[in-house]
Amino acid sequence: MSVRLPGPERRDSILKAAQRLFAEKGYHGVSIDEIAREVNVSPSILYRHFKSKQVLYDAVLQALSAQRESYVQTVINSGTSFEDVLTGMTQVYIKSITDNPDLLRIELQSLLSKNPATSDFFKNRWKSFTDYIEFSLNERLPYDRPNREITILTAALMFQGMLREALLQKYLQPEDRLVDVSLSELSNELVRLFLRSVGIEKSHLSRKAVING
Amino acid sequence: MSDFDSELDATGLNCPLPILRAKKAISAMDAGQTLRIIATDPGSVKDFEAFCKQTGNELLSSGEEDGKFTFMIKKPA
Repeated sequence: MSVRLPGPERRDSILKAAQRLFAEKGYHGVSIDEIAREVNVSPSILYRHFKSKQVLYDAVLQALSAQRESYVQTVINSGTSFEDVLTGMTQVYIKSITDNPDLLRIELQSLLSKNPATSDFFKNRWKSFTDYIEFSLNERLPYDRPNREITILTAALMFQGMLREALLQKYLQPEDRLVDVSLSELSNELVRLFLRSVGIEKSHLSRKAVING
Repeated sequence: MSDFDSELDATGLNCPLPILRAKKAISAMDAGQTLRIIATDPGSVKDFEAFCKQTGNELLSSGEEDGKFTFMIKKPA
């Protein structure tokens, strides 16, 4: 017999359980029945809060997006230097995944599930990085550089790949090769390597670490 | 109706670009001047509120029409 929770708390507990299960098994791998069992209610009570599995999934994403990391503080703190802003953004992003690794799991699950709303959601998160990198490189790279356009596009792609891969290895793989690397070390090094690869030398790490450990 | 001195088109750009470009535009303006910004990123509403609060620039207005967000920011005298 389930404990009688008031509406909003019940809704919250459903969202939390749904997030956990969607993260673990993907949208198609979870049923409403299973989520209902997880929070000890009947499916009909669950349907009162969320009309369908899709509506519930969208609500999970909404809740996650409300916690969306903001880069405003980074911009205000680090001035306008490409190196500093990119490092700051990377730290903020890493922290958002550290605080909620389910975000990363749901993202990876969604890549294969062909749900357009979900892929838009995650594409939008990465767009902050790709927009910023493309814009900044467009300003910084000499105009006579050969294959300039391709370089800019590929650089943004590479950064996304590096960051996502690092997070994947840190949070989803049982053997954590990066266990001794702190998050701030990781983000600093990724940015440093990235900048060097596009021909921009990072003069010194001027930012103090935002994330500890 | 020209109640602004400069305009910044940040449509299609995600955070932090609208803020960054606004920051640059404002630093190039004279004190007391107004910047009009157009953005499409829904996060820009909160972003510009926070930005103005933290930097002391005045958010004169913030509006939305057809998916476009318009902000009027005044550089303090």
